[in-house]
Amino acid sequence: MKDIKKLIEEKHDSVRSLFEKGGKFEKWYPLFEAQDTFALTPPDTTKGMTHVRDAVDLKRVMFTVVVALIPCLLWGMFNAGSQYYHYSGIETNLFATLFRGAWIVMPIVLVSYIVGGIWEVAFAVIRKHEINEGFLVTGLLFPLTLPPTIALWQVAVGISFGVVVGKEVFGGTGFNILNPALTARAYLFFAHAKDMTGEVWAAAKDGATGATPLGLGASFGGEGLNVTDALADRGFTFGSMLWGLEPGSIGETSAIAVVIGAAILIISGVGSWRIMAGGCAGLAAAGVLMNLLPSEVMFEGEMVKATTWTNVPFFYHFVMGSFLFGIVFMATDPVSAAATNTGKWIYGVLIGVVTVLVRVLNPGFPEGVMLAILFMNVMAPMIDYYVVQAHIKNRNANLRKFTYAKG
Amino acid sequence: MSADFTITKGLNLPMLGAPGTNVRSLSAKGTVSVFPSEFQKLKFKCLVEEGAKVTRGGKLARRKDLEGFFVCSPVSGTVKAVNLGERRSLKEIVIEPDGSDAAESFQSFTVDGVLRAKSENVLAVLLESGLWGLIHQRPFDRIANPADKPKSIFVNGMATAPFRPDAHVLADGKADAVQVALNALTLFTDGPVHLCLSAEAKGKKDALTEAANVQVNYFSGPHPAGNTSTHIHTLDPVIPGDTVWTLRVSDLILMGELLLSGAFPTRKRIVIAGEGLKEEARGYVDVDLGMSLADVLADTQAEGEQRIIRGDTLSGEAVNPAETGIFLYDQGFVALPEDKERHLMGWYAPALDQYSAHKVAPSHWLKDKLFSFGTNLRGGHRAMVLTGIYDPYVTLDIMVDPLVRACLAGETEDAIAMGILEAEPEDFALCTFVCPSKTDFGKIISDTLDLIEQEGI
Repeated sequence: MKDIKKLIEEKHDSVRSLFEKGGKFEKWYPLFEAQDTFALTPPDTTKGMTHVRDAVDLKRVMFTVVVALIPCLLWGMFNAGSQYYHYSGIETNLFATLFRGAWIVMPIVLVSYIVGGIWEVAFAVIRKHEINEGFLVTGLLFPLTLPPTIALWQVAVGISFGVVVGKEVFGGTGFNILNPALTARAYLFFAHAKDMTGEVWAAAKDGATGATPLGLGASFGGEGLNVTDALADRGFTFGSMLWGLEPGSIGETSAIAVVIGAAILIISGVGSWRIMAGGCAGLAAAGVLMNLLPSEVMFEGEMVKATTWTNVPFFYHFVMGSFLFGIVFMATDPVSAAATNTGKWIYGVLIGVVTVLVRVLNPGFPEGVMLAILFMNVMAPMIDYYVVQAHIKNRNANLRKFTYAKG
Repeated sequence: MSADFTITKGLNLPMLGAPGTNVRSLSAKGTVSVFPSEFQKLKFKCLVEEGAKVTRGGKLARRKDLEGFFVCSPVSGTVKAVNLGERRSLKEIVIEPDGSDAAESFQSFTVDGVLRAKSENVLAVLLESGLWGLIHQRPFDRIANPADKPKSIFVNGMATAPFRPDAHVLADGKADAVQVALNALTLFTDGPVHLCLSAEAKGKKDALTEAANVQVNYFSGPHPAGNTSTHIHTLDPVIPGDTVWTLRVSDLILMGELLLSGAFPTRKRIVIAGEGLKEEARGYVDVDLGMSLADVLADTQAEGEQRIIRGDTLSGEAVNPAETGIFLYDQGFVALPEDKERHLMGWYAPALDQYSAHKVAPSHWLKDKLFSFGTNLRGGHRAMVLTGIYDPYVTLDIMVDPLVRACLAGETEDAIAMGILEAEPEDFALCTFVCPSKTDFGKIISDTLDLIEQEGI
């Protein structure tokens, strides 16, 4: 190890001057810096009044999120492969399934990383700042929100939109209002709706189509059966959706894989447990409330079905669609989420509530979590504003108590 | 009177290099220097020229904006040089001691007598000797204005930041000096004089725990339980418009020695510690005021390049020992190894030998282990990304993220509403320490405080 380190250090030092001010490739310094600090920790020492620093840097934080996404990625590959063979009608083994899945999924991930990475480097070079590790997360999150049937050019267009419009126009990482990966997905969702709606996602095989549970539920007419029975009829039970061998976006189908990722984020302290807990509480509460609504209403003298969705048991909402994936990986993006602790609770709860509202009450969109998170991203600064105002009020009241107690 | 408080927020750095309780004694070799520049932001007019004879306690410089405030010589001798710093500010006056004991005499007081003395007389002695400069006022941590009447006075006798000196070692055998200075302070306020000590000292019988006429408060908990801001916030918070005065026990001792004897003090006890020093050198040293720091640290440094820090590790100033000496205000110095070592895949490697306060680092889970801390930044500067991670390290009733955002946006009114006037840059040092984006909170806070001070509240 020592020798490798020495070799890298020497090689880097031998070309360093080319990239520094006045060097031939001065413009490309961010690229050199990224490679240099990826291989070796920087030699910089502290300035200012605090002379020692914690061992953790942003690279480690971001890499932890990538690690937390790996169960979802692996399951996503396995699921894509299994759906492919299912609709092809071929019996096969685990290895072949995983291989086929990787064959489907990896190009999507690679296109996302390469195209997004080019934008990232371009902006770093133009703005002369470091390449931010946050892209490691965005570049992986985005493909996991896409159906495996997506065309690669759509992936490229989507990630370009996400990185440029979702992040760089605001000034880069740390300044964006919306989650870049979700912005990219929202763009594809609206611009290429027929490939993204979730009602007829083909199961990674041309010509074969299979509806997602959410798509089924939303289009369910409700004749004679209740929603859960209708879902079970098509093979979607609570248990099967928990495991997630079903059509859906690559990373979101398995609740169990997401929960493993959530555990990694919470134990390492990288993801906000407040947002996750708030989101789950909001979703459950809104789900129960929906159950209380009458499923039929009087309309022009006739009893008509209001919506077929209100009867779905609240715990189904957790395993159907991408709620868990969204609340664990998307909503917890610290830059676009609320910054205060109280704000995080409010932000999480409202994401849960809005998700159910969109799913159940809006017939247009089967899934609501993406819109809920984007909406709350926009609302987050306002939540923080009110939390801070409340804190200032509280603080002043405490200070006044002091003067009275003394006087 | 005594009271107990427990601070739950904060963090003690598990740092190698702590000082022992051994006390050595050193004397100045050659010249002694007086540094008017230690009183930051103040302007002085030099009263002596090269070759002038001065006595111990003799006046060397006069503060331009405050009548009666002088800088005095700690020895009798001849002025050898007057060195100017930036913008012709008076930086250093070098004196060649002549070995005689000729001393100016100031008015002296007895321990009890000072309680009945007129506050103007005590004030005159402190101003004329320049030791008034040891009393600071909040907000803005500047030298106290003698025209103000503070609502209370806080004396800090704690050391939670690595490595501030244990006040009980400093005050050892100086009970009278401590008590006379405390008694003198009671003349300047209608409110209480608070002496804040570590809960570990409770039950000991020494100059500090047995101090009379003041309120003794015991604080327990991790750093910053020993920061003056924590004490003020707990006992008597600063509301805009209020003034409180602050000192440390080391300041009390100098003032007390002057008031008791009527002669300018010549010695003080400081601590030197840190991994950059040889193990046997880490401890307390009795030194002459104004002696060269290089002499104090001679033959003490470990091998390799060391950074010498005036103050403590979390909120100190890097200095060149050859160019500076012992200030009136000094409490101690820390030496840390300059660490420029690069590590292979450091962001991914376990790095078990590098301490972290974050659960994401494996070293966080090694409890009760002391770590080596070099001066490495341990990462690169990035935009601030994580939120909510700083609040557990600030004991004041302040939300760190919104405050820092307000400061960076230059919104001074918002910053004041959020409580910045209660704080000093040192209170955010732990935020700087833990920040994964390597943000310097101390600078952000101090820039904003400067801006507010300029604008006026």
